[in-house]
Amino acid sequence: MLCENCGKNTATTHIKTVINGVVTEKNLCGYCAAMSGYSKFVNNGFASMLTSMFGDELATGNIKEHRCECCGTRFSDIAESGKMGCSECYEAFKNKLIPYLKRVHGTTEHIGKKLNKTSSALATVTVEDKKETLRAQMLKAVSEENFELAAKLRDEIKELEGREDNE
Amino acid sequence: MSEWYKSFGNEGDIVVSTRIRIARNIKKIPFPARMTAEHINEVNAIMKKAAANIPEDICGKLMVIDMNSVSDEEAGAMIERHIISPEFAHHRENKLLLISSDESVSIMVCEEDHIRIQVILPGLSLETAYEIADKIDDALSKEVEYAYLDQFGYLTQCPTNLGTGLRASVMLHLPVTSNNGTLSVISESASKFGLTVRGLYGEGSKSSAALYQLSNQITLGISEKAALDNLKSITMQIIKKENLDRAAINKITLEDNVMRAYGILKYQRILSSEEMMQLISRIKLGASMGIIDIDKTLPMRLLVECQPFMLQKLNGLMSPDDRDICRAKIVREHLE
Ligand SMILES: [Zn+2]
Ligand SMILES: [Zn+2]
Repeated sequence: MLCENCGKNTATTHIKTVINGVVTEKNLCGYCAAMSGYSKFVNNGFASMLTSMFGDELATGNIKEHRCECCGTRFSDIAESGKMGCSECYEAFKNKLIPYLKRVHGTTEHIGKKLNKTSSALATVTVEDKKETLRAQMLKAVSEENFELAAKLRDEIKELEGREDNE
Repeated sequence: MSEWYKSFGNEGDIVVSTRIRIARNIKKIPFPARMTAEHINEVNAIMKKAAANIPEDICGKLMVIDMNSVSDEEAGAMIERHIISPEFAHHRENKLLLISSDESVSIMVCEEDHIRIQVILPGLSLETAYEIADKIDDALSKEVEYAYLDQFGYLTQCPTNLGTGLRASVMLHLPVTSNNGTLSVISESASKFGLTVRGLYGEGSKSSAALYQLSNQITLGISEKAALDNLKSITMQIIKKENLDRAAINKITLEDNVMRAYGILKYQRILSSEEMMQLISRIKLGASMGIIDIDKTLPMRLLVECQPFMLQKLNGLMSPDDRDICRAKIVREHLE
């Protein structure tokens, strides 16, 4: 049987995926399986999946051995172990990771809890402070009969309030 | 509160316990597989300081356990109580464990990720367990510079945990649906919701005690709430199915099955771990169906306390043969 993707090589990999309840089945050659983000080790965990996905590429030296600047890990190390070297590896090997993430999670965007760099209490104080300043400026503008500036300041305050509501 | 295996929580006839685990890492320090001893010391120091600043109203004061000082037996007993993973026990050299006095909260430092926050509660208690883990996470995030990207969320050593880093699970006692083949159908449908089912306390995927763990697999592109809601709704369906199938069993057959187990446990003199789990599972079913009148917390407590390492932790070191005799005695005494 020929590969359903390229139609050239012999299909060696039967792929059955279930993502969100949709079952897809395909017969691919090793190369196409690797390139499409699938692998014959689909059920054997992430490490074997990475290895099988990039096995051909690694063997032919297609992956340039560039290293994570923070921890020195190469992508081939990650493919072999299924483990990232450090937090910075995610930036360094972002493009290569995207197909796996699609495969494993069905998506590549985090929508869960967000990390607040500043505490939320602190952020509210800042917005309140800003609003106070703007309000004072607006009152001053009104008293000076500079209505154009006052309207502009009023819009800015409104915008800040709108942002708060969305949070 | 007492340990999960000594308590009976919501839906406790079927849901033995709820576990929430959150994976976090520290920015720019190599992930555990690549850490040197210096890195481990650095993270230990960060976590010791951070743990001291976790507000005590969340889970009391966390004790710091130097895993170097933990014997093989104690480490084994911790695995049996689900406090630590077998991997953590195995590679525990220079590692740190933070744990609350009732053991409901534990933080493994430098397991598969730098920080693994774990909360275990008895019964079905996903919201409460998550709330506790979430508060600890908030507290730690003020002390520790987390590895995080807006696109990918919380960065983990293994990309399978990327995003929320949340693994939520419930331990279910399913003596009837696991026996009549329904569980495999349930597992199939659970997988469509990104959940998996696996056996606990047994070889491979089978469970000697009919205890199964249902957990979420997807951590990216799903919110914590959605993941917990999914898990809860499938859990409720499984509970319903198990209850229906329990009610459909011929009464006298069920009673016979339970009473035989009860009888053996009351009078045996040598009890292997394997046989103990099979029989305890049957009396747990009997207790929840009102066939035998025993304390409902007893089956799980015996099941955990009669595991090989727990048995030795509570009764002293002994040979495997002596363990079977000791186990037999303890179970007998509790059922008198
Ligand atoms: Zn092909
Ligand atoms: Zn790196």
